[in-house]
Order: sequence, then C-alpha cells, then structure tokens
Amino acid sequence: MIQKKICLLGGFAVGKTSLVRRFVTGMFSELYQTTIGVTIEKKTLLVGDQDVTLMIWDLYGKDDFQNMRESYLRGSSGYILVADGMRRSTLDTAEALHQLAQSTLGPVPFVLIVNKADQLKEWEIDEATLARLRHKGWLVFTGSAKTGDGVPELFVQLAQKLLEAA
Amino acid sequence: MAPPSSSDSSSDHLPEALLKTLGLAVLERVGTGDTFRLIGNPPLWWATTFKTSPESPIAVGPLAPFLQHFLDESETAWRDNHDRVVRSGPWSHRDLTSILHQFEATALTASHRALLLIERIDERFDSIQQLLQQARDQRLHHIDQVKTHERTQTSLTGSLAIATQERDDLLALLQHLDLAAIVTNQEGRVTFASPRCLAWIECPSTTVIGQPWEQSLPIDSADRKQLRQAWKAAVPQRSRHSIRFAGTTPRWIDYEIHEDPQSSERRIILLHDRTEVHHLRQQLNHQMQFHDLVGRSPAMLQIYQLVRDVARVDSTVLIEGETGTGKELIARAIHYSSPRKDRPFIAANCAGLTDSLLGSQLFGHKRGAFTGAIDDHHGLFESADGGTLFLDEIGDIPTSVQTSLLRVLQEKEITRLGETHPRKVNVRILAATHHNLNEDVIRGTFRADLLYRIRVARIHLPPLRDRRDDIPLLAQTLLGQVCAATGKAITDLHPDSLHLLMTYSWPGNVRELKSAVEFAVISARVACLMPSDFPEELRHTQRDHRPPSSQESQHAEPKAQLLKALQQAQGNRTEAAKILGISRATLYRRLLAHHIDVAE
Ligand SMILES: Nc1nc2c(ncn2[C@@H]2O[C@H](COP(=O)(O)OP(=O)(O)OP(=O)(O)O)[C@@H](O)[C@H]2O)c(=O)[nH]1
Ligand SMILES: [Mg+2]
Repeated sequence: MIQKKICLLGGFAVGKTSLVRRFVTGMFSELYQTTIGVTIEKKTLLVGDQDVTLMIWDLYGKDDFQNMRESYLRGSSGYILVADGMRRSTLDTAEALHQLAQSTLGPVPFVLIVNKADQLKEWEIDEATLARLRHKGWLVFTGSAKTGDGVPELFVQLAQKLLEAA
Repeated sequence: MAPPSSSDSSSDHLPEALLKTLGLAVLERVGTGDTFRLIGNPPLWWATTFKTSPESPIAVGPLAPFLQHFLDESETAWRDNHDRVVRSGPWSHRDLTSILHQFEATALTASHRALLLIERIDERFDSIQQLLQQARDQRLHHIDQVKTHERTQTSLTGSLAIATQERDDLLALLQHLDLAAIVTNQEGRVTFASPRCLAWIECPSTTVIGQPWEQSLPIDSADRKQLRQAWKAAVPQRSRHSIRFAGTTPRWIDYEIHEDPQSSERRIILLHDRTEVHHLRQQLNHQMQFHDLVGRSPAMLQIYQLVRDVARVDSTVLIEGETGTGKELIARAIHYSSPRKDRPFIAANCAGLTDSLLGSQLFGHKRGAFTGAIDDHHGLFESADGGTLFLDEIGDIPTSVQTSLLRVLQEKEITRLGETHPRKVNVRILAATHHNLNEDVIRGTFRADLLYRIRVARIHLPPLRDRRDDIPLLAQTLLGQVCAATGKAITDLHPDSLHLLMTYSWPGNVRELKSAVEFAVISARVACLMPSDFPEELRHTQRDHRPPSSQESQHAEPKAQLLKALQQAQGNRTEAAKILGISRATLYRRLLAHHIDVAE
C-alpha cells in the first residue's frame, strides 16, 4: 500500500482544517477553531487501480503569531496551498509558503485551492489573477469546504500527481 | 529510609519521581533504532492513549504518525550533538476512545542516554489556544471592519459623486433657465447661494453663507421689508413687482419663495433677472405714453421728440391744435422735461377776459389801479417766476394786453397795473391756440410782431380723427383713469364699442373721447363697455370716413388741393376760397406759401 504525506499550507482561517474535515469526514462547521501545532488525518483513496493512503498534515495557519516550521514539511510528497477568496492577502501568504516548501522539499507536486467559493460575491481574488497562476503551470482549484465543491477533486488530483511523480 | 546508592537504577529515583509529578512519559532509546523502553511508571494518560506493555520494549514510530516523523528529527540530538534538545511543538492525537489530546515531545541526551519525553499538554495548550484564538478572531474582525468601512466609503464616494453630479446638473439647469437660487434654514439664514446669485449680488459665498438672506441682497429698505414679509408668509410666494439689485450692473429681479421639499422649515428662493423685460416695458411705456400724453401713432411719436427738443431750450413755443387735442398736456410735458421743472407751471386761459382783468391777472396790480382793485396783487408772471407760464387761447388776448405781453417778452420785465416801475421776471412762455393766428394777423386782430415772438417754435397737435390708431390705447387708458376715479371695475371695451369709437369723427377730440368714456362707465351695467353705454351722438351721427375738411385743417392744404380748387373755380380766387371754405386772404397766403402763381 502506498502511503504519502501531504501538507496543507496557508494563512490563518483560510479553511485548511475545514477542507480536511470535509474530505475525511464529510462534515463542516461554521465555528472557527484555530489550529495550533499539527493534526494529522489519514485517508485512503483509490487512484486508478491503486489504494493510496494520504497522511494529511493539517498545519497551523501562518501569521504574525505562528510561523511555519520547516521541519513539519520534511517527508512531504506534495502539498496543498490554501487561500481564502475573500482575502486577497491570503494568496500572497500562499505564494510565500510555496517558496518555503519548494526550498525545503524541492520541486514536489502541489495544488492551489482558493476556498470559500460559496461567497463568490465577496471575493477579492479575480479570474485574471488565477489565470496568471495557471499560466505559471500551477494547478488551481476554486472550491468550498462549506458546500464540498471541488474538495474531492483537489485531493484526488494531488494524489494522481504524487503517483506520477513517484 | 533507602541507603544512598551509586548504581544507575538507584540514581533514577529522584528524576523519576520528579517526572511522574510533571506527568511526563520518559523513554530511553534502546540501541540506535526506533525501539525504546519506558523509564519508571508512565503517567496515567499513557495507558488510555497507547497500547503498550510496560515491560517490553516499545516501537515508538507506529504509536503515532507524528512521533514517527519526530524520531527522524530527533536523531541529531541523540547521535550528533548531545547538547541539543529537540522539541516537537504541539501535536494532536486521539486516544483509544477517539478523544483528541494535545502532546509535545522532547528529544535530548542525558548521561549518554538518548531520552524521549512525551508530555500531554491539554491544559497548557488550552490557554495558548484561547490566546491565539482571541488574537486571530480579533484579526478577522478587524479585516471585516476594514472591509465594511471600505465598502461604506466606496458607496459614500459613489453617493457623493451622484450628489455632486445632481448638484452640477441642477446648477446647469438654473443657469440655463437664467435663474439664481438661495436656500435658507429655518431662521432665514443662507445655507446655499448659486454661483449666478453670487455674481448678481457681487459677493463671495463666504460673506453670504450664514447671513439673514434678505440682508445679503443689495436692495433698498422698502424692498427688504417686502422680502422679509414674503419669507414669513405662507409659501409659495411670488414677487408682486420686481425688486432692484444695486451694483455695477443694476438688475430688476423677480423672486419666488418655495418650501424645501426635504424640510418644510427651509426655503428655496428662486431669483429671475427681469432687467431686460423691465427695460423693454419702460421703453414701451415711454413710447405709449409721454408724461400724460397717450399715443404711439407716428404723429405722436414725432411730437414727443419735438417736446423733448424744445424742452432743452428756453424759447417760446406755440402749440396749435383743435380744441380738446391736449395742448395743455403738451405744455406741461415741455415744462416737466425742461430745466425749469422744479419751478412753477402756471396755466392761464386768456379767453373771454377783459383788458384790465387779463392784464391784472397776468401782470398784477397796485391797490386802486382800477375799480375793485382793493389790494396790491401780484400777477401770474410773478407767480411763475423761474418757471413756465402757459397762455391758453392766446389768440383771444385783447390788443392792449398783446402790447404788454410783447414788452415782457422783449424786456423780460413786467409792470403791475397802476405802477410805473417795472419788475424783472424770468418766465418761459408757452402759448396755445386753436385759431389760425396768421389769419388773425391778416385780419388785424393779432399783432404780427407778437406772433413772431411767440412762434419761435411750434408744435401742431393733430386732431384725434387723424390718429385713429391711438384710439384703442387712449380709450383703454382713459377707461383705467375713469375707473380709478369712480371706483368702478370695468376692464374691457366690447369690440363693437371699439368699432364705434374708431369710426366716430371726434370733433371734440381727446376731451370728447374722455367724456364719452366717463358717460359709458356711468351707464355700464356689466364689466364690459357696450356700444349702448356710449352717448347717443356717437351712435347716430354720420360716420366720419372722409378726410378732415378744409375748415378743420389749420394747416395749409397740400398743394394739389389748392390747385384743384383753383381749377374748379376756373382761376377765380374768391370762388376757390369758397370751395375750400377759407377766406380769400388765407387762400392768398397759402398760394404764396406753395409758390403758386398768384397773378390774376
Ligand atoms: N463560507 C465558508 N466558510 C468557510 C469555508 N471553509 C472554512 N470556512 C470557515 O472559515 C473559518 C476558518 O476555517 P478553518 O478551517 O478553521 O481555517 P484554517 O485554515 O484551518 O485556520 P487556522 O487553523 O487558524 O489556520 C471557519 O469559521 C470556517 O467555518 C468555506 O468554504 N466557505
Ligand atoms: Mg486549522
């Protein structure tokens, strides 16, 4: 059985925990409970004809109070960058974390999800910005932990890339 | 009491007890792999978290995925650098009943033993969690606030832009309508004045805003009072007559006062510049009416000009015209347009007075100068000193008075009857007659030298039938005057009445027209004068469609008329004079005037 470690990286309150919870348990909560340290969830999915167990590291959000610990990244086969569509600055944080991940892990597969697509009207991140990132070769998703839109695809796509990379 | 011991196991006692109190699980690495053994009794939580047997070595990696990862990280502390302490930071793990707990692991080397400490930090974690949660909640709230603020600002900026646009549109509209506007608060103080208004009152807005509105306008006290009353009265209000703005460009302004639809206590005052209309109306009035003279027929306009011309000089003027044409009005107009206007205007009718009476009336007399002269009396010349003396019906002056008059005109002095010494007088003479004074001269009833003295300038007033176009205006003006005098509210002339007035020959001229209107106003039953309201003779006498008869004409007939009469009379001048209805002498003089060969 293939087991892969992946990390969720992003600013605080962008919905990392919510995305993992939606993916692993199918649930969602409006209540915000910030993550401190590391929570690891496990989920096995079938990619092609292979079972892949993802060890999903839900890391705390990066901000002035807590900085990213590079050591947590070690051993990751890939990562998911998470941004909050309603806060433009979270995309900048995601890009910064991407730089850090790349320097720590080298060119491993990653995907970006701009979360909270159920609040599209409030979004500060426009299509042009996403297009610019896609143009750089990024795999960009928009989705919602609240509605579940785009969530399974996100993980499956990354898992596929991990297998391709292996 | 246990004996002191130097052995490894006995030296464990103190830290073990200490670690137990701290709630730490302490594991010592066995060899170089992932296998550890618990030192002493683990804390209580250990048994509910991990399935391990206390005696046998424990493979730590499989206990929790995070520990697996941490072992790799700790390798440096155990193998390479014995001074190093590696801390895991918090991580969560579910116990055997699936409850999530927080842990922290520490790797270090002590007394050459590779140690792994595992601590359940739930309580410590909770307080940190709370703190961080608060900080992040606050941060999110702040972001939300900023966003709301920005949104409000954007919408306010938008509203402001719309409001500004609307204001600009409104000002453009006012500008286009040639309107100025003032807005006042409930106390009547200016809160807004449009640029056009500021231009009219020639003041910057800073001196106007906050001022009582009627005080910021350059108007006289009467207008100001009117405005104040209008502002206080129930709105909407409209000016009854224009008010005058003083300034480098004086303006005549009409105003309207409205309630501000947004707030009933505020007023919007709209100002219209009516200067042009005012000027036009003035001009029109001037053209229709000159002093008390009414008419805008070409003949009358020419007369107004003549009056203005002679008013400028001090010469004697002879005013000729049929009875009732308004000769005295012409005299008054001359006087009141002349530099003498502030001095007396005295009118004397010379008709039907005896020598001595007229002489005494004009020149005054000394007591006892004649029977009935019981007192010294100064005459009209002295009364009119500095002003104008109007001698009506001058053709009727007896010859003796003509002589005295001539002397006054020549010497500019008078002598009271019964006195010998003359008195200086400064009087302008205006004379009027319905006679043909030329004929009187020929007849010998009027002194030629006096005629020339009097007739320095002459104004001939046409009979009314020769300026019928003025009849509607005259009738309307007279109607207004009569109504004002009698208090009757008659505003209109029935078209048939007007037709009647237009076709009548008016031998008594304007005076006759005036009494006809008076008559009609008294007879009128309704607010409109009907033909039946007018005197009988207007309706029953023959309509006058013919040109003025030669008798009525005081002026020379056109040359053609004279020639026609001569032709009809086959050159006989007595006959021709008969045809024309004039005396032989008059005919003779007119033939001369027209250079018609008079040789018989
Ligand atoms: N409307 C909406 N809200 C979401 C969505 N995903 C997450 N949230 C809310 O966003 C808040 C933060 O979600 P978390 O999943 O705790 O975010 P996080 O990235 O794990 O936050 P940290 O652990 O503090 O870094 C919570 O109140 C969630 O309910 C989404 O797709 N739509
Ligand atoms: Mg989280």
